[in-house]
Amino acid sequence: MTRRMVIAILVLLVFGVVRMPFEAELEKEHKAAYFHGAKLDLSLREKIGQMGFLAALSGFRAFVADVLWIHAHVLWERTEWGAMKVDFDAVTSLQPRCVLFWSQAAWHMGFNASVAAFEDPKQPREALRLKAQHEYFKLAEDYLLHGIENNPDVYNLYADLALLYEMKLKDHCKAAEYYAKTAAFKNAPVFYHRFQYYELAQCPGHEREAYEALLKLYKEGENERLPTLLKWLGILQEKLNVPADQKIYIPPASNP
Amino acid sequence: MTAAAPIATKHKIFSPARVTAIASNTLLELVRLKVFYFLLLFALLIIGSSFFTSKFTFQEQFQVLKDVSLGAMSIFTWLLGVLATAMLLPKDIEDRTLYTILAKPVPRFEYLLGKFLGVLLLLFVAISLMAGVFLVILYARQQDALANAARLVPANALQEQLADIRAATFNKNLLPGIVIIYLKSALCAALTLLLSTFASSSIFTIIMSVIVYLIGHIQAIARDAYLASQTTTALTKAFLAIVALLIPDLNSLTLVDDIVVGNAISMVLFVKTASLGLTYIGIYFLVGYFVFSAKEL
Amino acid sequence: MSTPAISIQNLTKVYPIPFKREKVTAVQDLSLTVEAGQVYGLLGPNGSGKSTTMKIVLGLVTPTSGKTEIFGRDSTTVESREDVGFLPENPYFYKYLTGEETLHFYGKLCGLSRARIRDRSKELLKLVGLEDAAARRLGGYSKGMLQRIGLAQAMIQEPRLLVLDEPTAGVDPAGSREIRDLILDFKQRGITVLLCSHLLEQVQEICDRVGILDHGVLIREGVLGDLISIENQTEIILENAPPELLAQIREMIGKSSGRLVAEHRPQKTLERYFLDVTGPKQS
Repeated sequence: MTRRMVIAILVLLVFGVVRMPFEAELEKEHKAAYFHGAKLDLSLREKIGQMGFLAALSGFRAFVADVLWIHAHVLWERTEWGAMKVDFDAVTSLQPRCVLFWSQAAWHMGFNASVAAFEDPKQPREALRLKAQHEYFKLAEDYLLHGIENNPDVYNLYADLALLYEMKLKDHCKAAEYYAKTAAFKNAPVFYHRFQYYELAQCPGHEREAYEALLKLYKEGENERLPTLLKWLGILQEKLNVPADQKIYIPPASNP
Repeated sequence: MTAAAPIATKHKIFSPARVTAIASNTLLELVRLKVFYFLLLFALLIIGSSFFTSKFTFQEQFQVLKDVSLGAMSIFTWLLGVLATAMLLPKDIEDRTLYTILAKPVPRFEYLLGKFLGVLLLLFVAISLMAGVFLVILYARQQDALANAARLVPANALQEQLADIRAATFNKNLLPGIVIIYLKSALCAALTLLLSTFASSSIFTIIMSVIVYLIGHIQAIARDAYLASQTTTALTKAFLAIVALLIPDLNSLTLVDDIVVGNAISMVLFVKTASLGLTYIGIYFLVGYFVFSAKEL
Repeated sequence: MSTPAISIQNLTKVYPIPFKREKVTAVQDLSLTVEAGQVYGLLGPNGSGKSTTMKIVLGLVTPTSGKTEIFGRDSTTVESREDVGFLPENPYFYKYLTGEETLHFYGKLCGLSRARIRDRSKELLKLVGLEDAAARRLGGYSKGMLQRIGLAQAMIQEPRLLVLDEPTAGVDPAGSREIRDLILDFKQRGITVLLCSHLLEQVQEICDRVGILDHGVLIREGVLGDLISIENQTEIILENAPPELLAQIREMIGKSSGRLVAEHRPQKTLERYFLDVTGPKQS
């Protein structure tokens, strides 16, 4: 080891000291811009093995996630829901910024696995089947909530969660809340704006609020007067006993 | 022709012409070695990756295509940089061509700079070709998907579907992502050059460089642990310090995994990240020169 | 007195052994001078310090103490190498370059303009007899051709000093002859040549002065003729001498204080015979 090599190492150490605060700061900025959110911890290492973990560490993280994703699809064909969940957990840990993974994982749990659980021919007791189904709903909710934590800047997962509350968990208040959050995004499709009130109409204690909002939309013009909106206006008018002279909307005679 | 007096060329302290001559010669030398084999492998990989996902949605297919391509680009430019750099000096010394060059009025700084620039050029050529092939294939698949959609999707949903397809393929952050991949490989090449001035065998240099690459991805963890200064023993702290200070933080230049799923990078953040990369490259090169300039040949 | 081509004064080079206290002294207090226009042979067994001395002269290794100069310029500076051309032992050069491209590359390193390189390349390729092979890649060159292109690259910037390390090692007799003729040609043009070689007969043929190193010390140095001539002997070679003349000479020697040591037919060198026999057939 020559003198110069020793000096070189010292220079590198000094460089290390100088760059540390800058790098720590840069890392904060990266995290704020949603980079480096992947949780590469021991539980993940258990799920994907040593080689996968190593690959994920060295720049192949996206590819490892894809491989697991494909594996999950293979499991889907074999309806191995439990094993799918393990893969989904790993995939979303590896790629927390991929909205598609969270969305699809939730969909599989909430809309496929849950149905399979409810229709499970091996389980004679309905109560237990309902319980299993509900557990899958909860798993789906979990995925979407974590997905939103990692991707608060896009509307898609809010919309997915709202739909889950609406159709599966039947929690219309929460559905309304999440449709509202979806609608808050400028680039979200416009119909979410209406959906929040359709759900709000079904949230006990908020019927009046929903009615006012729908009325306001109705008054905005023809393009808001869509069939569903009109339907809900009618329902709410009845529910709230709106006096006839204040009724804005007269539903047509009931059609078969 | 007599040798009464030498040709009257005033010796330049720094000559870009000399550096260019060495750089272009190095590029010619390296291009003959491994790069074309790597490129072939890469092209086959990305084409092959499209086939086994044909039963997935187009978003998933494009995802896999992009992930595989960019992952392969990362790993291959890194590997190419390390291998090409590791043998730069040993080969010239073994062939004694180093002596013929340094026996001319060429300062050691220009020699090393020319060699290093040759490697950077090689990496640039490699990544440009790979990116080119990747983008062409991506475009072809996109056109395919668009045509399919036009055939199968009903008219009222068509526009949205076409927009979705386009969004799933090209993403304006891919280009900065590729630039960062290049800078990361260039950093590893500069580090390898530095290591090769310490070591005398290419094998040792390569092994050290690979180890540093692996540790470099978790260096941030060591750094955080060191800065957090919790209840670790003095020995652990010293070890963490050495890792945090000596090993480069390669995680800060690993952004493509998130970019490929649509994460955006602002110009400011890109410039900051790129500057960090360039600083590393500069420091490693200069320290490497510092050691090389006094090396007994 | 013009500036000597090479001036070495009290040169010492010590290499430390890693992990040990002792050191290796490669060159010890060496002083020698190579005047301009000479062909100087630097000789010595393996490990004698020849290569180290050569590398120090070329600035590839820094001396521990002492001074080396090339035409008055400190040899540790980069500028001093404008005047030097070097041909290392068993060089490879870049196999994928043609002869012409090789010269072009080295010319650029010397700072020559493209036009100047073109002209010099042509001259040198002609001089070393590689005109026909100029467009061929060095990978296809024979050992002799590689040595010759090596000589050409060493000469590209018209240096006043050439340093040649084993220029004829591994080259066949014909190629070896050509290289030696080139060296003599350089000498005619006033170029100084520092030559290192193990092939002592060849050194004997072309060198003016020699220096012999052993274990880093210069043990003998001087004009070749002076060093190796056997002082008290005289050689007279006769042609077409009749036997009576020979008898007379023998008688005269017998009467004098001198002694007839040997009488025989001189022989051609095997090399000369080989070349005469294998060379191009005269019509």
